[in-house]
Amino acid sequence: MGPLVPQEIIGEGWNFFIAFVVGIGFGFVLEQAGFSSSRKLAGVFYGYDAVVLKVFFTAAVTGMLGLLYFSLFNWIDLNLVWVNPTFLWSAIIGGIIMGAGFIIGGFCPGTSVCAAAIGKIDAMVFLGGIFIGIFAFGEFYPLLKSLYMAEYLGQIKLSDVLGISQGALAFFVIVAALAMFWGAEFAEKKFPQEEY
Amino acid sequence: MKPRLLLSAILIGLGIVIAFVPENTTKPYKLTASQLLEEVQYGTEMVTPDELADWLINQDPSIQLIDIRTPNEFEQFHLDNAMNIPLSQLLDEEWIDVLDQGVMMNIFYSNGTTLSHEAWMITRQLGYENNYVLQGGLNYWTETILNPSAPVLTSPDDEIAKYAFRKGASQFFGGGGMTQAATSAKSKSSKPKIKRRKKKKAPDGGC
Repeated sequence: MGPLVPQEIIGEGWNFFIAFVVGIGFGFVLEQAGFSSSRKLAGVFYGYDAVVLKVFFTAAVTGMLGLLYFSLFNWIDLNLVWVNPTFLWSAIIGGIIMGAGFIIGGFCPGTSVCAAAIGKIDAMVFLGGIFIGIFAFGEFYPLLKSLYMAEYLGQIKLSDVLGISQGALAFFVIVAALAMFWGAEFAEKKFPQEEY
Repeated sequence: MKPRLLLSAILIGLGIVIAFVPENTTKPYKLTASQLLEEVQYGTEMVTPDELADWLINQDPSIQLIDIRTPNEFEQFHLDNAMNIPLSQLLDEEWIDVLDQGVMMNIFYSNGTTLSHEAWMITRQLGYENNYVLQGGLNYWTETILNPSAPVLTSPDDEIAKYAFRKGASQFFGGGGMTQAATSAKSKSSKPKIKRRKKKKAPDGGC
């Protein structure tokens, strides 16, 4: 049955509408979970607050299990679900830049929009920085292109690389996520932060 | 039980189940109308009689001829080594291993092309990938391979070469062709060209 748009069960135009609704819901939940607080976000790097880790891994585990069970029940054809292609070098370098920006600025791109929406000035500055970065990247693209496109691995999945079934990988991800949650709560107790 | 433990237990339980069930490889997917139209327009499903003759003469082991006509017609005449899957039985369980596999190249034929195209359309809609249609069917096969007619003398070289090949093929298949051109059949021993069909792809998009 699914995915709905590629199967032409609903029209292409609905894509934007659904993205809009999901986007608003996403922003709302981010704000509700306290993701508009940069101290809370940076807490994951210092160990006093692991809510980022918990929220993102919970989302990943939920989405992963949902897709696998939907596929099991024939509700979705996973071959038609977009997998982001992997460019190894840009993934590594981009990850480092993003992580550094996360620690320095206290936001990741999505949460900065969220925080800017409730009027936080530091988030607006952060957003400005994002656009400067995008502009600079665009201007220097010819120079960066060979690095950006290097080590193209295609639309690979971790399960293919490791040579195990998607279900087995899902199980290990769940176990790893639970172990991390446990470790994170341990760290929260170990490095407590005064109320903010 | 503490809610955390309960949640963890549920997650691990779901994980164990999904780890042990076999991955779902059935394809509920059907081609969209526009994808099918594209394939039909490019004619990727077509195999010409000359291509088929070449493969049969070279005894390509990956060719599986499938006669789509009724058993009656099949008994009266069929191509060598063809199997009979009448259109009405196309969806029977017993043929699924033949029609949906990744090894053999199935070539559907009927008298014309209507039946074979219908069969191809249905199997293609089901997502099967290895089925092709003999262009022009048996009628055109008889006309071009079994009883080739000579081109006019002013025809371009490749027309003449094609004719020579067809004469040779005609001999090979025991048609009404003459004997003179028999040797040229052997000289044309090119490898069968397997047409690459366009792979179904996930639509572009991203996060």
